[in-house]
Amino acid sequence: MVLELKKPRPIWEIIFSTHHTDIGLLYIIASMTALFAGGGLAMAIRAELFLPGIQIFSGQADFARFFTVHGTTLLFLWLIPFASGVGNYLIPIMVRYKDMAWPKLNAVAFWMIPPCMFLVWGGFSDTTWNAYPPYSILKAPGPAADMWIVGLKLLGLSSVLGAINFTVTILKMKHPDLPLMKMSLFAWATLATSLMIIVAIPTFAASLVMLYTDRLGVTGFFNPEMGGDPIAYQHLFWFTFHPEVYIFVLPAIGMMYEVIPTFSRKPLFSYYSGVVALIVISIIGFGSWAHHMFAVGMSFTEKTVFMVGTLAAVPSSAMHVFNFLATMWGGRIKFAAPMLFSVGAILLFFSAGAGGVVNTAMPLDFLTHDSYWVVGHFHLFVMGTISLAFTGFIYYLFPLITGRMYDTKLAKIHFVMTFVGIAVIFGIQHILGLYGLPRRVVDYLPIPELIIMNQIASFGGWAIGASYALFLYNMIKSAMFGKPANPKDPFELGTGVEYYYDYARREPHH
Amino acid sequence: MGHSTPEWVYIGAVTAILIWVGAESWNIEHTLEYAPPNSETVRVVGQQWFWSFEHADGTQEINELHVKEGIPYRFEIVSNDVVHSFSVPDFAMLMDAVPGRVNTMWNVFDEPGEYLIECREYCGMLHQDMRARLFVEPNTDNATAVTSGSEPTISQGTGTATVIAPGGGEVGTTGSGTMRVVEPGNMTQTTANDSAAGNNATSGNGTSSGNASSTAAASGPTLSIPAGASTAGNPAYAPDTLTVKKGDVITVSNDDTAPHTVTNGASPGDADAGKLFDTSIIMPAATAQIDTATVDAGEHPFHCTVHPFMTGTLTVQ
Ligand code: HEM
Ligand SMILES: [Cu+2]
Repeated sequence: MVLELKKPRPIWEIIFSTHHTDIGLLYIIASMTALFAGGGLAMAIRAELFLPGIQIFSGQADFARFFTVHGTTLLFLWLIPFASGVGNYLIPIMVRYKDMAWPKLNAVAFWMIPPCMFLVWGGFSDTTWNAYPPYSILKAPGPAADMWIVGLKLLGLSSVLGAINFTVTILKMKHPDLPLMKMSLFAWATLATSLMIIVAIPTFAASLVMLYTDRLGVTGFFNPEMGGDPIAYQHLFWFTFHPEVYIFVLPAIGMMYEVIPTFSRKPLFSYYSGVVALIVISIIGFGSWAHHMFAVGMSFTEKTVFMVGTLAAVPSSAMHVFNFLATMWGGRIKFAAPMLFSVGAILLFFSAGAGGVVNTAMPLDFLTHDSYWVVGHFHLFVMGTISLAFTGFIYYLFPLITGRMYDTKLAKIHFVMTFVGIAVIFGIQHILGLYGLPRRVVDYLPIPELIIMNQIASFGGWAIGASYALFLYNMIKSAMFGKPANPKDPFELGTGVEYYYDYARREPHH
Repeated sequence: MGHSTPEWVYIGAVTAILIWVGAESWNIEHTLEYAPPNSETVRVVGQQWFWSFEHADGTQEINELHVKEGIPYRFEIVSNDVVHSFSVPDFAMLMDAVPGRVNTMWNVFDEPGEYLIECREYCGMLHQDMRARLFVEPNTDNATAVTSGSEPTISQGTGTATVIAPGGGEVGTTGSGTMRVVEPGNMTQTTANDSAAGNNATSGNGTSSGNASSTAAASGPTLSIPAGASTAGNPAYAPDTLTVKKGDVITVSNDDTAPHTVTNGASPGDADAGKLFDTSIIMPAATAQIDTATVDAGEHPFHCTVHPFMTGTLTVQ
């Protein structure tokens, strides 16, 4: 057990450790801290939007700081570190190696995250998470924007170092008896994600440097006054961040590939199809970035190319959905918390994908772009799909990490509240978008429809917040007082079900 | 292992739907892409935090756009500072205003009425307020009545403001509320710079103050907006406390390079902001007047709606 709150290990032993389970634990704790902190900001955002007019913020600028830090925190300090944490925990076990390939590098990659948390939260920038110039280079107040840039720079470095480590661990340190095509799909997902990180992130890292020197006024890459082009930044940004959405989602898919067959007590429908879909998406995912830029004034040809590129990436996501459902079909499903969250994630993944197809259909995007529709769309992914799958996986790993069982009743209440909350808030945000509500506004016109829908959305958001407060309570209480878990079969699935792989080897060093 | 028949059928169905969506979109977008040759051009300028429009005949409007039903319009969209996005949700129209670029979009408005224009790209402190109104007028040929030669007056809300064009241009009124049509000659710097291929993208606010000519007879009290006022911390109004007698007409001259307003209230959020007096946007080098005849005696804080950190106080005796 890595985390025993009743018999705690000295804190420095964990902090200075380079063992993959300890680093994994640190990643998970750091990312969950970000989840709760970033979620707290969302609660304030929903309070402000409960009524038109400006209530709790002093104005648009403060509001912008909140949603900028909210987005930055949840995307880069929750989703990415959590996936690395679980990867650290499980990949060496899954490929049957004693640790990550480079344990010290692994620790270094983790320890870059707290400073960038400090930079992002200390600065509280208002640039939005896209930081489009010329606003971000000419108007955004420093030092907040500068701290944001340096923070993200560090994060990118940390991700790339982590990704190199995973790639090498999987490809080079894998046990010789374990062929690649027998490796678990979570390991495949981590491999695909890591390769995408290595290809995608450096572009954004470069544009951050250019953004910074532009801010200093020594260059004018994106400053039209100095002959630069703001659109160039958008291309660089989305070249990284469209693939990044798959970097976010693939680990979640990998986790669902662990959970769904286990709790369906049935082998996976098609391992091969899962591998193919992962590989295909990690290549095609690079061909659709400018679907975020249909309105910047691209030529018809460009728009067509990126629409086709986006549509081409859809079947591989659809293959995962099919695979999940076909695995569940006819299985003796046990709806324990990890499974509930995974099933919820499948439903929302499907709806979110349908909304994405609407976004990419060119004429329709001019209706939805930068409206609340887009907010609803990507939250169905980042919250509804990815965070749900991640949360389910926290429940799944809980007995492994703490040796105790969480409160199963509270976990079910958590799921129901979260799922309903998500469906309500992000569903209704799609409709708000069709009513023309722009995103990123502190105030909206006092039209009855807009007010009612925003209020329903706020209740949905607060339901999610309340359920996650319950979750936090459950985690802390159960880690201390939960009933000891049966390490062989904590979820009482019966014989013949294999989970956690070779667990006997999980604590070789302490 | 391997694909089974249902999975192939499923992938086939998904792919077919996607191809259909793609083909339909291509078809529709193809017609939306190219403006008919007989379209009328309207230039749309976005800047922090308002929209201005220039019609083919030189008519200019701020935060209001009047078009006629049934005529194809081609919009040339530019920005003077940061990225904005010009959107008319009721017509599914949307195009970014990017400094250094001229983006185009066209539409035929088929339904007379009043519609919302909004900014869809985050652009800073007053992004949420960067709204304008679109009036689609029935297609009869007697709209815009402009009286030439007379001194222009417009009424807005309960206060009265007069806009005087630097070059002796004129202002007419039609329609309702705060509607304002500005004739050519007004805001000449903006026009000149903009039509120079939209290359006037500047960090500041675009227009350079060329001829700060003020044709207004400055017999009454004057209020000036000094150069540099749009940077927080610099002097905002000169003087920043002004005392006048009720009935005086104050002449406000904008000597800065950014557009400004003189609007009553300590900040845009005040309940009665803009209710007592409001010059609305004064372009660089232009002047406006505030008639205090309708303003109650007392102390009235005022601010600039474009730069809410600019404040001052007006005392009416
Ligand atoms: C795989 C998980 C996905 C995630 C995490 C995701 C995330 C996002 C995010 C964060 C944005 C908004 C970015 C911004 O403007 O701030 C976005 C927009 C968009 N997404 Fe997704 N997305 C996913 C899948 C898809 C799919 C499958 C499609 C298409 C079939 C799609 C199509 C789009 C389009 C076209 C936009 C641009 C909408 C606009 O700005 O008008 N997305 N997505
Ligand atoms: Cu994308």
